Amino acid sequence: MPEITIDPTTRIEGHHSTTLQVENGEITEAKSHMDMFRGVELVTLDRPPSDAPHFTGMICGVCFTCHRMTSILAIEDAARNAGMFDVVPRNARLLRDVMEGIFFLWNHAVHLIALAGPDYSDAVADTGFDRLDPLEGEGYVEALKQQRKLLQAFTEFGGRTPHPLTYAPGGMATAPDAGTITSVRAQVAEVSDWLGPTEAVPEVIENVTNGTVESDTAQGLHDLVSIIVAAKQVGADSFGLGPDRYYSNGVFYGTDDDSRVLPPGVYMDGELRRPSRETIASKLSESTARSWYTDDSGGHPAEEKPPEPAPGKEGAYSWGKAPRYEGRTMEVGPLARLVAAEADPFDLRATLGGGTTKSNTLNRLIARAQEALIVRDQVLDWLDAIDPRRPFNVGWDDGFSGSGYGLWEASRGALSHWVEVENGHVTNYQVITPTLWNLGPRDNADNPSIFEESVEGMAVEDVGNPIDVLRTIRSFDPCLACSVHVESPEERFETTVEPASPTGDLP
Amino acid sequence: MSTTSRRNFLKLAGAASAGTVISEHASEIGAALAAATEGDVEVVWLQGQCCTGCTISLLQGEYPSLEGAIDDFRLAVTFHPTLMGPAGDDAIASMTKSPDVLVVEGSIPTGMPEAATLGVDEQGHHKPIAEWVEELAPASNYVVAAGNCAAFGGWPAAENKQRRYGLGANVTGAQGLQFEGRAKGGVLGPDFTSKSGLGVVNIAGCPMHPDYLLLTLATVINGNTPEIDEYHRPSPFFDPNLHDECALRGYFDRGEFAEKPGDPGCLYKVGCAGPYTYCDDSMRLWNGRTSVCRNVGAPCVGCMEPAFWDRFSPFYTPVEAQNVFGIDADTAGKVALGGAAVGIGAHYARKLTGYGTEEEVEPLEETESGGED
Repeated sequence: MPEITIDPTTRIEGHHSTTLQVENGEITEAKSHMDMFRGVELVTLDRPPSDAPHFTGMICGVCFTCHRMTSILAIEDAARNAGMFDVVPRNARLLRDVMEGIFFLWNHAVHLIALAGPDYSDAVADTGFDRLDPLEGEGYVEALKQQRKLLQAFTEFGGRTPHPLTYAPGGMATAPDAGTITSVRAQVAEVSDWLGPTEAVPEVIENVTNGTVESDTAQGLHDLVSIIVAAKQVGADSFGLGPDRYYSNGVFYGTDDDSRVLPPGVYMDGELRRPSRETIASKLSESTARSWYTDDSGGHPAEEKPPEPAPGKEGAYSWGKAPRYEGRTMEVGPLARLVAAEADPFDLRATLGGGTTKSNTLNRLIARAQEALIVRDQVLDWLDAIDPRRPFNVGWDDGFSGSGYGLWEASRGALSHWVEVENGHVTNYQVITPTLWNLGPRDNADNPSIFEESVEGMAVEDVGNPIDVLRTIRSFDPCLACSVHVESPEERFETTVEPASPTGDLP
Repeated sequence: MSTTSRRNFLKLAGAASAGTVISEHASEIGAALAAATEGDVEVVWLQGQCCTGCTISLLQGEYPSLEGAIDDFRLAVTFHPTLMGPAGDDAIASMTKSPDVLVVEGSIPTGMPEAATLGVDEQGHHKPIAEWVEELAPASNYVVAAGNCAAFGGWPAAENKQRRYGLGANVTGAQGLQFEGRAKGGVLGPDFTSKSGLGVVNIAGCPMHPDYLLLTLATVINGNTPEIDEYHRPSPFFDPNLHDECALRGYFDRGEFAEKPGDPGCLYKVGCAGPYTYCDDSMRLWNGRTSVCRNVGAPCVGCMEPAFWDRFSPFYTPVEAQNVFGIDADTAGKVALGGAAVGIGAHYARKLTGYGTEEEVEPLEETESGGED
């Protein structure tokens, strides 16, 4: 029975690999290994709560806003529970939204074009879509320029990107004036023009399907749609099948004080629920049965101890923990958010992806593109709602005792931070990342994670070229390119995944 | 490249006045490099315990851009986990095993080698990143640490204050390539030199500034040995004091301080590590010369300095309030103001506040403002 090992795989923060057991051309078992450990929960202890966003903000240089944001939500919640804090000013909430929104747009475009896109490019997969060729294709190169422009707009508020330090407990460190806001507006609008108008989507799909990939008015959309059309052509709607169970914490406050623009939701057994924040929090747990942590490192995130490493642990195969909702695995990410929002713009998932709530590789790509447009169409409204004459920060005091949590969404899915503070010092800290939900290990009941389940049963015609496995891994928006080698007890196979350029080098 | 053309090149690059490091980019530099370089410059980019933030920062470079540098500097990036097209054994096979330039992003977990691995070794076990570095570094012409983690151990080396689980201060034994915090040593040892004879060049920062990396590459591709400081950082980028060149410096001189982030004023009292941090980003700015942390009210965390995570934490607390320097921010500002008023040079104020030094006070010396002291 050949064993396919994909190493390293995906995790944005570091190193990830996957081993697959293949029998009669079908994957019978998948194991998702997280191959990096740094110990952020441990180094955050004994520091003032206002240090937590600094430390945890640097968990990821790709999700460079979301951890800082969620950590701030957690410590603000803890201070509120201690009676020491009320709310941040409306301006701060709006500005955080704007920055998160620009970040989402950036992340989705970079992921689709630079990380997933090459799998559907002519250079890698003979699709004919040479605009998608990595570092050489015109679409790819243009996207590189546009992402820089977008982050320059972000940097007007963030100071630098990645790792902006401008989100602060109590609000924002920056208080932008009307001129800065106007300038950001213009910069975002420029990138928006590259993308093209949302209402052009049906026409763009038709054009791309008919072989037209260039456009004067919607070039960005043409390139994004090329990926979707190519993915459909390779049958991505029929592989990478998840259990159709989704969870979203909801994201963006928007201009309505009482709800989130993309609402929280849990979809399971064909039914959408709208649990409260408290209900979501009460249903979460983590298992470390198959993780390189002691068994007692698991539990409810508000109660479990910081993870205690146990590198040699029998049966363990990942540095990730296994988060569960009511004990069940849940898919997170743009698809989960749009299912929770009951949104399927232009019915793309219904018509191309086999159903609005169907979990498959194609629908993950479609949902990411759909969400990019949804956010693009609102982010400037949030920006316009900022009143630069009013405050952005109410101040902050570390001197309290209390516990709290922040539930937010990173671009790649549900994120939560949990903090306990005693006399101005952090005494416990937990982070549950989206990548743990999607690509974590098995749990104590041996239930595979979403990704593990999504490739089990997948047909692998050529064990030396499991490109659909790679496409599936990347559809979850991992940020590292995958390295694949294939081995069995008897022999080691060479992969035949085509290099992006004839030499195998970047140009 | 002939001596004459190299001299012309240095002139062009403004390097003659800035040691041997090309510190500013001009389109002519690319053309000169392309003409002067024989064959491709093979680059391998490895990732240890990293967040990929330095790679994302690299993508934001404008002067030059990454794709411009690849073209102009004739870079052949034979391995980069985030950017490369090929996957699997093809990717490992395309990696040069004796690169012109080895770039490492992220720290190396020396106490727990399994905490960062890449691919497998000959026995089929996950291969620790430390082994990759030990194999590739001596075979490389230049070794560059991209970011604070690869340079000094950075974020993963921050102190486990509780010594929880008997893990020690440094949970995974995370080290930089040639430094552990401010101490020389690291994975490759204090005496390591690459084939060029140079130790590891540290592009500090969390994240690194893309210009610092790409222009340092331009420097070494040009055949120059970059001038480096005691922490192996290229001098022209890391000599300037960030506080001296800060856009908010006028507030400091007038003794006007922000009470919280978001207030107008110098950020001294809300934890700014600027006076103890050395780099030119107050002037160079980030993301296509758009902005920098202080310009949006965010106090400097000292990310260009070795061991900054513990030296400047708690980050929102004024460094003076930690009583390390024996004087508070109000006094520091007044001293600076008073000093200016009576015509005493800035260095006198510095002496009193101790700013610009770490453990000891700078000797009084002549200053640019006349030195009438």
